[in-house]
Amino acid sequence: MVRLADLPPAQAQRLAAFDCPKFTTEPWVTGPPLSRRRVAIVSSAGLLVRGGVPFRGRDPDYHTIPPGTRPEDLLISHVSINFDRTGFQEDWNVVFPIDRLNELAAEGTIGLVADTHYSFMGAAEPDLIEPHARELAGHLRHDEVDAVLLAPV
Amino acid sequence: MSALGHYLEEEGIATVAISLIRPQTEKTRPPRALWVPFQLGRPFGPPGEPGFQRGVVLAALRLLECKAGPVIIEDFPDDDPREKADPSWLPPPLLTVPANHAPAALASRLDVEIPTLAPSHRRWIAADGRTTVGLSGLPMPELGDYVGEWLRGREPPSPRSGFSPILQLRFAADDLKAYYLEAGAGGLARPSSRQLGDWFWSSTAAGAALIVLRDALLASANDRVKLIAGNFLVPGSYVPSTARPGTIAATSMGPWQPGQ
Repeated sequence: MVRLADLPPAQAQRLAAFDCPKFTTEPWVTGPPLSRRRVAIVSSAGLLVRGGVPFRGRDPDYHTIPPGTRPEDLLISHVSINFDRTGFQEDWNVVFPIDRLNELAAEGTIGLVADTHYSFMGAAEPDLIEPHARELAGHLRHDEVDAVLLAPV
Repeated sequence: MSALGHYLEEEGIATVAISLIRPQTEKTRPPRALWVPFQLGRPFGPPGEPGFQRGVVLAALRLLECKAGPVIIEDFPDDDPREKADPSWLPPPLLTVPANHAPAALASRLDVEIPTLAPSHRRWIAADGRTTVGLSGLPMPELGDYVGEWLRGREPPSPRSGFSPILQLRFAADDLKAYYLEAGAGGLARPSSRQLGDWFWSSTAAGAALIVLRDALLASANDRVKLIAGNFLVPGSYVPSTARPGTIAATSMGPWQPGQ
């Protein structure tokens, strides 16, 4: 578990002291109730569809996870080896909870699930990711997405 | 992840982020985040537990209806029940014990060990319906051969256009680990990730081979080879204390920090 108190002191200190980007603004977008939202997943696990080009290092762009992607199609190419992959191997919802979203949509808890989802590679520099993220926002708007579930790894 | 929340929200898209390392989220202050007490790699909790995962997803999405922001960071209360070891789990049988850690000997053991695990891996695919082996594009016998060439002190040409030999080694190592860990979980028991990781790194020729290969490549004159071997073959928690000191930084690719 990632409770810092449960980690070795040196590792906990390193994680707590990690230099994160700081923002001066506090953007805040509201919207309709969940039952009328269209939800997309944006992962930072370095996901790609089998046969595609894996993230090679700290690539700042994103991959598209198209409609109809099946569990056997999805791979992780995140550069780090310091996180568990056995959960994803057993069940893609551990990283990419598409089945849970489809269930929530079927029962009416959320409105719809987006056709297309996306993945960055989380080790990329945030300032290099920024233009790609802003470009992605255009695709999300075009797909009428009004809620994004951001999934790290 | 939290930076993505800022960028997308500034573009008019509402977001909610899963947080794995709370202090980092507190620094970046995304619009909305749900911190979860799970191990890295499992942002939505345990595999094969749809009810638990649903609870995580719904707790996150409900923050989109909360009016208390900007900047909401809430905590998910429940731990991952699959982090506990399964005492009924037994690793698949291996024909060899990696007592001889000479690189060439490990390469030979790898040649035997990979096919030995094939029945266990087939059981995994039959039960799970998929494999996550596939980054390198190499089928399993050739994949072992490619790693074996490196172990024997040769730098084989990359079998994949556009990928350098050392980058291809990184993807081959990822595939090798996936093959073993899937084979290791290919029975009825539900081993924890720690059980599987301990088995791979302490009991298999493949784990020993990657540790030895990392150490050998850290002596390379090629900085790119040192960078990838030092950071992306063996997890930090499994690098022996007697191995060459670890993290190799470069201006183009520093060491990854978890939770990103």
